[in-house]
Amino acid sequence: MKWFSRKWLLVMVVLFVCILGLSLQAAAEDKVLQMATTTSTDNTGLLDYLAPTFKADTGIELRWVAVGTGKALELGKNCDVDVLFVHAPAAERKYVEAGSGTDRRQIMYNDFIFIGPKADPAGIKGASVQEALKKIATKGASFASRGDNSGTHKMEIDLWKAAGLAVPDKESWYIQTGQGMINTINIAAERDAYTLTDRGTFIKYEANWKGNSPLVILVEGDEALRNQYSVISVNPEKCKNVRYEYAQAFAHWITSKKAQKMIAEFKLIGKQLFTPNAATK
Amino acid sequence: MESRPLYELADVVYRYGDHFELAVPNLSIPAGSSIGVTGPNGGGKTTLLKLLSFIEKPYKGTIFFDGRRIREQDHHVTREITILFQEPYLLKRTVFDNVAYGLKVRNERGNITAKVRGALNLVGLPYTVFAKRQWFELSGGEAQRVALASRLILNPRVLILDEPTASVDQESALLINEAVRSFREKYGTTLIVASHDRIWLSTVTDSIMKVRKGRLESFDPENLIPGPWIHTDNGLHTKALSDGRHIKALSPPGKQTTGYLRPADIVVATNCPSDLSTQNILEGIITQMTFENNEKAVFLSASVAELSLSCKLTQAAVEKLRLFPGKKVWLLFKASSFRWH
Amino acid sequence: MDYIFNGFLKAVELLASGNPETYSAVFTSLKVTSLSIASSLIVGIPLGFMLGYFDFTGKRQVRAVVDTLLALPTVVVGLLVYAFISRRGPMGELGLLFTIPGIAAAQTILITPIVISLTATAIESLDRRLGMTLIALGARGRQIIVASLLEARYAVLIAVVTAYGRAISEVGASMMIGGNIKWHTRTITTAIALETGKGEFALGIALGIVLLSLALFLNFLLMFLKRRRIA
Repeated sequence: MKWFSRKWLLVMVVLFVCILGLSLQAAAEDKVLQMATTTSTDNTGLLDYLAPTFKADTGIELRWVAVGTGKALELGKNCDVDVLFVHAPAAERKYVEAGSGTDRRQIMYNDFIFIGPKADPAGIKGASVQEALKKIATKGASFASRGDNSGTHKMEIDLWKAAGLAVPDKESWYIQTGQGMINTINIAAERDAYTLTDRGTFIKYEANWKGNSPLVILVEGDEALRNQYSVISVNPEKCKNVRYEYAQAFAHWITSKKAQKMIAEFKLIGKQLFTPNAATK
Repeated sequence: MESRPLYELADVVYRYGDHFELAVPNLSIPAGSSIGVTGPNGGGKTTLLKLLSFIEKPYKGTIFFDGRRIREQDHHVTREITILFQEPYLLKRTVFDNVAYGLKVRNERGNITAKVRGALNLVGLPYTVFAKRQWFELSGGEAQRVALASRLILNPRVLILDEPTASVDQESALLINEAVRSFREKYGTTLIVASHDRIWLSTVTDSIMKVRKGRLESFDPENLIPGPWIHTDNGLHTKALSDGRHIKALSPPGKQTTGYLRPADIVVATNCPSDLSTQNILEGIITQMTFENNEKAVFLSASVAELSLSCKLTQAAVEKLRLFPGKKVWLLFKASSFRWH
Repeated sequence: MDYIFNGFLKAVELLASGNPETYSAVFTSLKVTSLSIASSLIVGIPLGFMLGYFDFTGKRQVRAVVDTLLALPTVVVGLLVYAFISRRGPMGELGLLFTIPGIAAAQTILITPIVISLTATAIESLDRRLGMTLIALGARGRQIIVASLLEARYAVLIAVVTAYGRAISEVGASMMIGGNIKWHTRTITTAIALETGKGEFALGIALGIVLLSLALFLNFLLMFLKRRRIA
């Protein structure tokens, strides 16, 4: 193995230096817009679909981290991102009022649905949201909650309150996963639990099972289940280093006719996911 | 032969922990001389050699080299001195790179291959066989010879050897002894060597000092004179010296027996005497003088052809005869003074 | 059980067809670890050498601290680095959050103690006679340092490989600092975490295969180096 010590080492060192050069070069790129968005937007692939066109139109590269809405707002408050794409209207309003964000614009909506095991142990199929929640609580049927301060989680808490119920924080049937939407659905499936999800994520989940999904849609179409998405620019007065210009470019672009049409045309497994509702100019 | 002192040690003390101390009140070593060091293990031999090679610093006192106080940054000076230890340590490289290392750190890059070839030849390691070998592909004796070659290639002014042959096979020991002897003959290198091999020491060194319990002691250096002894007609046996002169001895028990001659049995004269009963009257040059404070005695070493003979004198005699290293003297001893063990 | 097998088949297909998403994660991982290894070596080897070579008061305490840092949890490092490089933090101006150099910075903090500790051990276990031999042959100052590191090269390489293994398999800090941004900061490990969460096993398994192969390769390298060191 004498050949090892010299030649091999040399080859490895050369390779190493090449990769090193590449990574340093990659660090020096410009015109990047950093976005914080929610896992549900990312999981559906909507941004993968929009970003190339955005770059072609404006020359700005969109990069996003997918976190819960709570974390996304936090990232904005810390000035770590330039723009937010989230869905928790009440929290968003508070956030803008506090001065951390500016120029909130409605973009689109989809809807939430209640899903649960085919057997439907609490018998909520076709019920209204309030009835369904009351039945689950009375029966003590398992319910999986995101429990991560995300937009979905906030929506769920609002629904419990609207039904006149306490949030069942300490109940043994109430499973707080603390994870993303897909993970929470997976956990619900494993535990035969109900859960609240956005439709997009569920369509994707269902497609993976090829018509054999253990969880099915039980409650849908209630006005209370509308899920509004908005874009908020991080306030440049609070955050000096923020790329406000790019954030504005994005806000402008996503509310344009072209982008709104793209959103309407975005389909997952043949189904439309989002309904655009921006005030187009 | 030069006689200017190369080393001068004044009130040197070295301490290691609470237990060990080496003290050298004064010592001078002439340039070009060849000194043997003996003494029991743990007595301070190795420490003395490390001090002389400037690897260790004395706790107190000064070591002058070439008349100068040596500081740590005097690299050009300390690079003229090199030491070889009993247990060789080879760098984890090829034999070639080991031998060439010293030249490379000195930035002497000319002619390296030829120099390495020469150094390996000197220690009996054929270049074509050994140069490309890795450090772990050598026997203990070969490793020590590579280590010696890596010192000899530097052509040092002072070569210090600490028991170089104590842990090697006999063949390697012979090759090392021979390499050191011929190297010194060729370059006149100052040699300081600790060894248990008394016979080799007596052939390669001019004088011997003894280090015991951290003190320099006069080594009652019984002179060793190896055979062969040739029987002559007048009942005496003679040993031929390299320059054609002879030493005469009475009835050695065997042809190859080594004769022992006590220093006190040698008489020193500054003129060539005549009409004496002693069979041996040999001209030589004083190489070193060691003063014994407590006994008021002086040990004097003189080179006679390839031999170095020690003689014991009183200080009064030394003063009277005005003896000093480098002076020509005549050594007288009887053919019957030899003892045979 | 089907989906595992299918996932495996799909994984092989992804790797064989040069799927850009898979290879993007692989190259991101390699870029991040190369950066973090390079910086941890620049910092760690000299410090490790000093810690192993010189005797000074408080050496044992320093050693104890370094050895404790070996067990630094990745999420704690992630949190600390996040706090520092967030735009609101003291180093916010650099804009390192959600970038490859940002992840590399966190990993550097994570693996530098490994490099320091193992280099120090490597230097400490060098033969006592080496130093004297180098001086005897005329080496001075920097030459002694270079030659000592070269003598300990197999042990130092073991340190490098060990640190590399820790960096490439680390997920906590990469996720927190990098944000798992597709095409940019999505590494092998964060991609596996994400894809498993999404129930898309194929990509997860494909990346798992790459990571395992890398780990195996590193382990073989370690075994080889350890053998070499004993020889």
